[in-house]
Amino acid sequence: MKGRFGRFGGRYVSEVLMQALEELEESFERLYPSPEFQRELGILLRDYAGRPTPLYHARGLSELTGCKVYLKREDLVTGGSHKLNNTLGQALLAKRMGKSRLITETAAGQHGLATVMAGNVVGLEVEVFMGVKDLERQASNVKRMQLLGARVIPVSTGSGVLKDAVSDTLREWARCTRTTHYLMGSTVGPHPFPEIVATFQSVIGRELKEQILEREGRLPDAIIACGSGGSNALGAFRPFLEDRQVRLYFVEGGGESLEADNSAAAFQLGRPGVLHGALMQLLQDEHGQVKPSKTRAAGLNYPGRGPEISHLCEVGRVKPVYAFDREVFEAVRTVCRTEGLLPALETAHALAFLLNHPEEFSRGEVVVVNFSGRGDKDLETIMRYFYGA
Amino acid sequence: MELELTLKRLREGGEGALMPHVYFGDPSPSFSLRLLWTLAESGADLLELGIPFSDPIADGPTFIAACERALSAGVTPRDCLKALAGLREEGLRLPVLLTAYYNLIFSRGLAEFCGEARKAGAQGLIVPDLPVEEAGELLREARRRGLHLILQVTPTTGEARLGRIVREASGFLYVIGVEGVTGAREELEPSTLELIGRVRRATPLPLLVGFGISRPEHVASLLRAGADGCVVGSAIARIYSERLEEPESTLPRIADFVRSLKGAARRKP
Repeated sequence: MKGRFGRFGGRYVSEVLMQALEELEESFERLYPSPEFQRELGILLRDYAGRPTPLYHARGLSELTGCKVYLKREDLVTGGSHKLNNTLGQALLAKRMGKSRLITETAAGQHGLATVMAGNVVGLEVEVFMGVKDLERQASNVKRMQLLGARVIPVSTGSGVLKDAVSDTLREWARCTRTTHYLMGSTVGPHPFPEIVATFQSVIGRELKEQILEREGRLPDAIIACGSGGSNALGAFRPFLEDRQVRLYFVEGGGESLEADNSAAAFQLGRPGVLHGALMQLLQDEHGQVKPSKTRAAGLNYPGRGPEISHLCEVGRVKPVYAFDREVFEAVRTVCRTEGLLPALETAHALAFLLNHPEEFSRGEVVVVNFSGRGDKDLETIMRYFYGA
Repeated sequence: MELELTLKRLREGGEGALMPHVYFGDPSPSFSLRLLWTLAESGADLLELGIPFSDPIADGPTFIAACERALSAGVTPRDCLKALAGLREEGLRLPVLLTAYYNLIFSRGLAEFCGEARKAGAQGLIVPDLPVEEAGELLREARRRGLHLILQVTPTTGEARLGRIVREASGFLYVIGVEGVTGAREELEPSTLELIGRVRRATPLPLLVGFGISRPEHVASLLRAGADGCVVGSAIARIYSERLEEPESTLPRIADFVRSLKGAARRKP
C-alpha cells in the first residue's frame, strides 16, 4: 500500500493538511524524475554541497578494532552534515510548487541550518522552530541560522525539545499550507515525507556503493549509522537493502541508561504507535501518551523511529542497537585522537557502537560508518563533559 | 440520548445546536465534572469530552495548556471514561462525543476502546488526527457498537475529498471553519461562511462548525450561513484558565457565556 512500510507509516493528520499532502505527493512524483529537476539538483549537490563526499579509510580506527574501517564523510557536506542533501531537494521542489516560504523544525540545528542554506539558494523565506532546551545547547548553530537570515522561533510547549518543535511546525503549517512548504527534516511524519526524505538522502548510499566497489572490489560486510527518525541511516542503507550479505546497524540514543525515562532507545523501550502523522516504533506509556526521550545528542532526541526504519528493524533487515551517553563521549575522544576528526555527538553513537561491540565484527571485515556530521556545534558540551564548567 | 434525534429536533425547531468542548481533568477531574454540569444546565445541547493527550497537534495554545495541566494532574483515558459513566449515572442525558487523538485509541485497541466508550455512555468519537483514508477500521468498529465516528471538513478540503468524506460520515459533519488549530478568535472569516455553503450543498447531514468561535455574533452568523450548530472550546477554557487557583469561581461567568451563545442559537435566522 502506498505510504506504508509494512504496517508502519500512513497519514494520520488533521483533515486541514490532507490536501497539501496530496499536492506534495503528486508534485514529487511528477517533478523528481524529470531531467530538468535531476540536472538542477545534481549541480547543486556537486557545486554547492560539495558532493560526492569522500570515503575515508580510517587507519587509526581500523587498528583499534581489527576491522577495515571506512568513514563516509558526510561531515564534509557544506554546513557540516548530511542534512543539506534533503533540504536542497525539498527546497527545489517547493520552489517549483510555487511556495514562497519554508518552515521546519530543528534539534541539533543542523537541519535548520541546512534549510536556511537551501532556502537562500533557491530564494525562499525560512522559519525554523526550535525547542527552548535545544536553543540553549546548540547556541552556535542558532547564531549561524540567524546570520543566514532565518527567523528562529522558540518552542516552549511540552518539554521544549524536538518532538515539541515538530508539533508546533505542524500546527503552523495547518495555517498556511497554500503558501508554505513544511521542509521535514527526517524520515518521519505523514506520507509522503518519509519517502521524499529517504529518496533525497539515498545519494549517500549510491556514492558509497560505487566507492567501496572501486576500493575493495566488493560490498562491505557491515554499515553502521546513528539515528532517530532515520534519515542518514536510510540514506546509507537504501541502496544495500537487497544485498542481504551486508549487515546494517542502526544505533539509537541509549541516553544514561535503559532505566525509567533516561533514554531515547525506542526500539528497546517502545512499541508501535502514532505520532506526528505516522504509525511507527514509539516511546509511550501504557495509555498511549508519548514519553519524552532523553539523550545528550539533541539530534537523536525524538521518541519515534521513522516508519521505514521501524519496518526494516521489525522484519530483521536492520539490527537496532544503541550506545550510552558515556560511551559516546569516549568515542568522541577516541576519534579525535586517532583520526583528528571531531564527530557530532549523534555521529559518535555509530562510532561508539563499533568501538564497544567487538563481538559483532570479525577481524578484517570491511565496516563502513556513516560519518553523518561534524561536532563543532557540540564543542562546548564536550568540553564541559571532560573538563567541567 | 440519541445524537441524530437531538440534532433533528433542533433543526425542526429552527434552533441551532451548541456543543461545548472540554478537556477532561483540566485542572482537576472534580472541576471538570462541575464544569460539565454547568454547561449542561446552561444550554448545551451536546457535550464534547476531550481525553487529554501528550501531543495535541490540532490544538492551539489554550488547549495545549489544558492537556498539559490535565496530564500533570495524572488523568488517564480510563479516568475520562469512568467520569462519563459517572455522569450518566447521575442522570446526564445530553449526547456526548468523546474526543481522542488516534494513538490513545490505537494503544488501547480499536475494538476495546469503542466498546468501552459505548458502555460509558458516549454516542460518538471525534479523532482530530484521523482523516477518512485512515479511518476504515475505526469506522467499522465504531459502527458495530452504535457509535458515530465524526468526520471533519476544512477550508482546504477539495471537492473530491469532500465527496469521499460525506460518503463515510454519520451523525454530523464537524466543519473546521479556519485553516489552523483550535483557539478562540475575535472575528469570523468570510471563507468560513463560504465553506458552510459549499458543504451544505454537498450533504444533508447536520453541520457543526468549530475552531475560533468565541461570541454570540459568531454563532448567529454561522447559523445564518446554513450551519446547524457550533462547537465552542478554547473560549470556555480561557475563562477558567484565568483563575486556576480557584476555577470554580468562574462557573457563573461560564454559565452566562454559554447562555448568551445559546441565546444567539435560538433566534431563528
